[in-house]
Amino acid sequence: MLQVRFDGRFDGWREAARDLLHRGIAPHHVEWLAGDEAGGLFGGHVEPESIEPSSPVRIPRQLLAELETAARFRTADRWSLLYRILWRVAKGDQTARLVGDVDGSELHARIKTIRRETHHLHAFLRFSPITCPSGPDYAAWFEPAHDILTSAAPHFAERMGLHSWLIATPDDAVLWDGDVMHYANPCPAIWRQLAQTAQESGAELWKTYYESTFNPARLNRDVLQNNLPVRFWKNLPEGPLIPQLMSRARAGAQRDGQAERVATRPGKRIERPGQA
Amino acid sequence: MQLIEKLSVLADAAKYDVSCASSGAPKRSSKGRSGLGATDGMGICHSFTPDGRCVALLKILLTNFCLYDCQYCVNRRSSDVPRARFTPEEVVTLTLDFYRRNCISGLFLSSGIIRSADYTMEQLNRVAKLLREEHEFRGYIHLKTIPDADPQLIAEAGRYADRLSVNIELPTEASLIRLAPEKQVVTIKQAMHAIHEGETEAKAEKRAPRFAPAGQSTQMIVGADATDDSTILHTAQSLYGDFRLRRVYYSAFSPIPHSPKTVPFEAPPLLREHRLYQADFLMRSYGFKAGELLTGPGNLPLDIDPKLAWALSNREHFPVDLNSAEPALIARIPGIGILSAKRLVALRRQKRIRFEDLTRLRCSLEKAKPFVITQDYRPSLAYRESSALRRQLSEGPVQMGLW
Repeated sequence: MLQVRFDGRFDGWREAARDLLHRGIAPHHVEWLAGDEAGGLFGGHVEPESIEPSSPVRIPRQLLAELETAARFRTADRWSLLYRILWRVAKGDQTARLVGDVDGSELHARIKTIRRETHHLHAFLRFSPITCPSGPDYAAWFEPAHDILTSAAPHFAERMGLHSWLIATPDDAVLWDGDVMHYANPCPAIWRQLAQTAQESGAELWKTYYESTFNPARLNRDVLQNNLPVRFWKNLPEGPLIPQLMSRARAGAQRDGQAERVATRPGKRIERPGQA
Repeated sequence: MQLIEKLSVLADAAKYDVSCASSGAPKRSSKGRSGLGATDGMGICHSFTPDGRCVALLKILLTNFCLYDCQYCVNRRSSDVPRARFTPEEVVTLTLDFYRRNCISGLFLSSGIIRSADYTMEQLNRVAKLLREEHEFRGYIHLKTIPDADPQLIAEAGRYADRLSVNIELPTEASLIRLAPEKQVVTIKQAMHAIHEGETEAKAEKRAPRFAPAGQSTQMIVGADATDDSTILHTAQSLYGDFRLRRVYYSAFSPIPHSPKTVPFEAPPLLREHRLYQADFLMRSYGFKAGELLTGPGNLPLDIDPKLAWALSNREHFPVDLNSAEPALIARIPGIGILSAKRLVALRRQKRIRFEDLTRLRCSLEKAKPFVITQDYRPSLAYRESSALRRQLSEGPVQMGLW
């Protein structure tokens, strides 16, 4: 088993993989070690025999993009799957990329998860205005399940015009100063604090809207949870309202659609036109 | 009245319209520019309510004062509900604040009819104009069009909005006359036609100003009258054909407080609504015709989905050999979607399709089993009667909700 240590980033992996491929070292001989990960017990002792040193191989650009996306999936064997697919394609086995294949199906499942998590970040991240004059205009705290921050964050530069903003996660963070994206890994403590404290401010109007737009006559918990997984609730201003609204709907308001705070206010009929 | 109180009344009043899509807009960006907002054609659901509905847009009424008396509507003039009215500036402030917080992708604005159709439409346009011109807002705007409004005003709305919609509400003229006395099929269709014309003109000329680039949609209420699914689907089909609508939304009638006796006092038929959406999807994306899904009058079955129902009554097309069949027919196999059909066709260029390939493509094996042939598999169920198959594949009895 050959232990290959690299910086834990896609570009680092790509360099190492290119070298291994060139030396003709098969995937089952390689153990990938990202950063300071400890290797397996039997690792690193023997240099495996290379099967056949090959001339430089050409890899479709599209495949590289697929591998880069799949590399964001947090799991122990992320780098070895990528190398196995790269190896197979380099040897002329194009099925390795297809959904119908054992490796290909895993590749596409990971890509799909990454796309979904990117979509989650675009959807469920909440910016709060920052009052501190030295800070950015807006800050958000988000807890992604995969390493998607760098690829997902540019979306907000398109949305926010000339505003500056910060997104902090338990691992890394980005700051957009209105012009340039600054990336930090790990997330600086001060950014973390800024994002987490900002999160609590001033979402009263939004919570009121959320409460009022829910129709208790159509309560449908399964659809809600499939689309808005519970792990996001705690960081959304409307999150704490969800269980409350559900139990209120079950306790009788389900008869019709109107929200309590509207139903208890005085109403008004409109005169027929011409009769007023 | 405080802004927050108005918001609670006017969001509550707008929630019975189920459409909330924010897709189909052309690409726009505010990167490095003043103003706010972007669109890229993909809709984003920023939240979901406990009724499972997506929140993509700030969906509110400008006012719920209304001169009309549509029986199914909570805001009808004879309804005893609290009334409120936003100023256009208030709607703008709310939209921009929610947008910056990343709670929404834009605004979906509708209104009760006040003073006149023209006045109401002018007010809606004013909000959109403020957003686009004063605040350089590049997010999504969906305006509900008032059918009787001057075509000039509808044309103006099309310049500001990404999407326009006119609600047909009820699928037949008879129901409309009975339940929505002030509305007329003729004017609704005229407004749809005007929007369609606007779209066509804008597309024909390269430099023409944009006109509702995300197209138009409509909504039909299901279960407020006795109309069956067949009529509803045929109406939808003709709307898609005549006016090139992007979407028809089906909204299960929701009981409203102090319901008039003309509409049912029943829990909403949510499963029926769901089946209609499935059937609608088959019409838009799979090329099914309404007449194939429902050959006569009546409703879609509730216990099985419409694609399975079609397959069970058209057994002569099955089983289908995945290694040789036309892609369009593969997509018609229950349990195999359009995407899987495409992937199967790509895969079979490389190798023969085996049954286990369906597992990897995450097809619904239970459903697909009786209808497919692969290299290593022939269905033993293929000669079983449809009624027996249906019993086996139906989703089973569901406990009725108590309320």
